Amino acid sequence: MTILSINNVSKRFNAGSSNETVALQNINLTIESDEFVSIIGPSGCGKSTLLRVIGDLIAPSEGKVSIHGKSAAQSRLDQDYGMVFQAPVLLEWRRILPNVVLPMELAGIPKPEREKTARNLLAQVGLKGFERHYPWQLSGGMQQRVAIARALAIRPKLLLMDEPFGALDEMTRERMNLQLHDIWRESDTTVLFVTHSISEAVFLSTKIIVMSARPGQILEVIDIDLPRQRDDSTREDVRFFEQERAVREWLRRAESGG
Amino acid sequence: MKIGRQILSFFIVLLLLGVAWELFKWFGGDPWRVTNNPFGIEHNPPFRIKQASDLNLPHIWEIISAFGKESRRNGPMLIETLAAASLFTFREAITGFLLGGFLGLSLGTLFAHIPLLNRGCMPYVVASQTVPILAIAPMVIIWLKAGWISVAIISAYLTFFPVTINTLRGLLSPDPTTIELMRSYAASWWAILWKVRFPAALPYIFTAFKVSATASVVGAIIGELPSGIRDGLGGAILNFNSYYITGPERLWAAIIASSLVGILFYLLVTAVETIVLRNRKTK
Repeated sequence: MTILSINNVSKRFNAGSSNETVALQNINLTIESDEFVSIIGPSGCGKSTLLRVIGDLIAPSEGKVSIHGKSAAQSRLDQDYGMVFQAPVLLEWRRILPNVVLPMELAGIPKPEREKTARNLLAQVGLKGFERHYPWQLSGGMQQRVAIARALAIRPKLLLMDEPFGALDEMTRERMNLQLHDIWRESDTTVLFVTHSISEAVFLSTKIIVMSARPGQILEVIDIDLPRQRDDSTREDVRFFEQERAVREWLRRAESGG
Repeated sequence: MKIGRQILSFFIVLLLLGVAWELFKWFGGDPWRVTNNPFGIEHNPPFRIKQASDLNLPHIWEIISAFGKESRRNGPMLIETLAAASLFTFREAITGFLLGGFLGLSLGTLFAHIPLLNRGCMPYVVASQTVPILAIAPMVIIWLKAGWISVAIISAYLTFFPVTINTLRGLLSPDPTTIELMRSYAASWWAILWKVRFPAALPYIFTAFKVSATASVVGAIIGELPSGIRDGLGGAILNFNSYYITGPERLWAAIIASSLVGILFYLLVTAVETIVLRNRKTK
């Protein structure tokens, strides 16, 4: 079933003025539910802009986004998607539990229910026992796991992630990848994942979208030929290296301007 | 203990100031006679400096003992007069502080949400503070009537400004991603204000409250002068000023009382701040 379809989306900043920049040009994309799709591309290729257009945080200059057959704006109002940013963006004056509760609070879910859900989610991301801590008492990786738990709190059909592990060290990042993979397999959530890292993209994805810069366009969509379930041994699989090389090849083309 | 050390340093500095004060008088003041100092010392200062004379700079013990003497012939003790005056002025100041605080919070919130209003009105808010309070005070007294409410309004005129500026800054302080996060959850502007902007602004607002607390006392004292109110510290200062020649220590005592009211109000706000922001990370 198609969960996300993007038709002819373009985005121009400062349109009409001398410093007009075309961030996105003629983006067409459909994503089936249950997929894990990564968007990879050189810096400034409009990956984050695309994610924000899908989330209805910025409006496209042209084209249409629909999530589950609804407009992006309606999906946002219906809380159909959850979003994770590069920074954890936790509210520093709230303890961990109320931070995870926040989206459910905004959705008007009754207090006992939302706290129960939040506790379960925190256990799921391995943060049981940290409910009463403050964000600044947690490490960067732990804070990002809180952000993921928060994004899952409203049981989104679609999870939009904007370089969520970009600020973490390599070892933490690999551990978080594995955890995210398990969360994805256990839930019925479709993930759209923006990243800079080739190995991260190959490890996690069923599909990788390679974008080129200025104007941001989709260069290639690569289906990842790996078992649906990934674990530590995946990184040693010959196919893993082959796919990595293929993605790297496309990225090189993307950087040299197609 | 952090607070203990702070209090200790405060009193050490107070002691040093007192010592400097008396040293100045020791070298440049009026002669010490056996009868006019509690130590029974005879001493002739080597210099004669006008500013160090007993009239211009009374001995510290003269000022302290003045609190226990009659404030006027057959009247109550000075400490009673000043305590009553302090309470009266404090009532004006706290009313002005609350009025100004409310106005400042409202203006700051409006300006944060309506950029056009911010651009259009902020210059007038700034200009309001360039008009001397001494010129505004008689106007307020003429428009309304001479009473403590008018004085509170004059005091509010001094206090709303820092609160407006800091509320605006604080409400705009959350980073854009936090606002995006809230929007991604379909949060209304009210939810964003109440759950993100306002909590983020609290440290800024308390900084303004601390400035306002002391300013409100100054505003109240100045407001009393043109309104002819005799019951407050402004009245006491005016009164003791006109009888300075016969008892300079009473004016000094009134100055001490005024600053004590300001300090106590400041400490009160700081105490509330400590409670409200107890779980914030100290930066």
